[in-house]
Amino acid sequence: MLEKTIYIRMHHRVQARNHEKIRLEDIAQIIAPEELLPKLKELNIHQVSEKDKNIVIIDVMVVIGVITEVIKNVDIQTVGPAQTIIEVIYKKKGGSISFFLLIWFLLFFGSAMAIMNFHDDVSMQSVQEKLYTIITGVRDQKPLLFQIPYSLGLGFGMILFFNHIFKKRINEEPSPLEVEMFNYQMDLDNYVSIHENKESMKKLDEH
Amino acid sequence: MSIKTIVVIFIGISSGLAVGCGFVAFLAVLGIIPRLTQLSKTMKMIHWYEWAVVIGAITGVLASLRDPVLGLTPYILIPLGITDGIFVGMLAAALTEVLNVLPILMKRVGMDGKLITLLMAIVLGKIFGSIFQWVYFIHH
Repeated sequence: MLEKTIYIRMHHRVQARNHEKIRLEDIAQIIAPEELLPKLKELNIHQVSEKDKNIVIIDVMVVIGVITEVIKNVDIQTVGPAQTIIEVIYKKKGGSISFFLLIWFLLFFGSAMAIMNFHDDVSMQSVQEKLYTIITGVRDQKPLLFQIPYSLGLGFGMILFFNHIFKKRINEEPSPLEVEMFNYQMDLDNYVSIHENKESMKKLDEH
Repeated sequence: MSIKTIVVIFIGISSGLAVGCGFVAFLAVLGIIPRLTQLSKTMKMIHWYEWAVVIGAITGVLASLRDPVLGLTPYILIPLGITDGIFVGMLAAALTEVLNVLPILMKRVGMDGKLITLLMAIVLGKIFGSIFQWVYFIHH
């Protein structure tokens, strides 16, 4: 008898609510013979509860274990990531406007102070005065003709680097900040998928 | 006498070499030139950009060491100011990015979605701080 083949590709990251039942369909793409497919999709893999906290890792070995319990004589092929990260969402975040404003002004005044400290640290004022004298031959304690364009250019340079003019993009590429956020998220995912994965950690005291 | 001169020249060249290497390495780490070529799609012109940096640095050295007086119109300072500002702004942006400050901060405060708004807080804060300093702060 020819064995039936099931192909499974775990999703990288999914979100779930508390007390939700995680079915195979939620965490993986499946290709299987038609008669098996509905049964496979409904397979219970995990029940989310309080003790899971924020992150649950479902290893592909657990999934294969569940499938072989229910369906015998199948060949299971896995493709792609070896685990799915389930992010448990407890309640909608980001509702508080006052908290947001606090952070906004924290960043605003923080970066204002930081740039002033930087200017003082590198003696920007005396360099600018000197530059004014070199070009015009006149001494001026307040070379505002240089300093105001400089200040505006400062903001523009940051926007240029991050590729955003408020909500419009200069071109289609992702900004370095978005790439950086992505890399940081991947690093975190990588960390939790090993450190929170019961399948890949075997500690001595467990035996 | 001539030995002293040779020693001074040697020390001058070596300190210049060290500072020049440091300057270029700093620019390279922050990746401002690649970022600009990527935005303007002018990868082929990268050698010209290298020379722009080198010539600019040498011009700056001449201006700060020789104290020339050109006696030109002060309005030339407006484009100079803008380009200086953009350059320093890109430096500041690249520096925060290298240090990975923003991704961690956004994650901690749980506001990954409001990236642009929070970024604008930083940008406007820099503009405000800078103008405040030049117009008011330094004369008090």
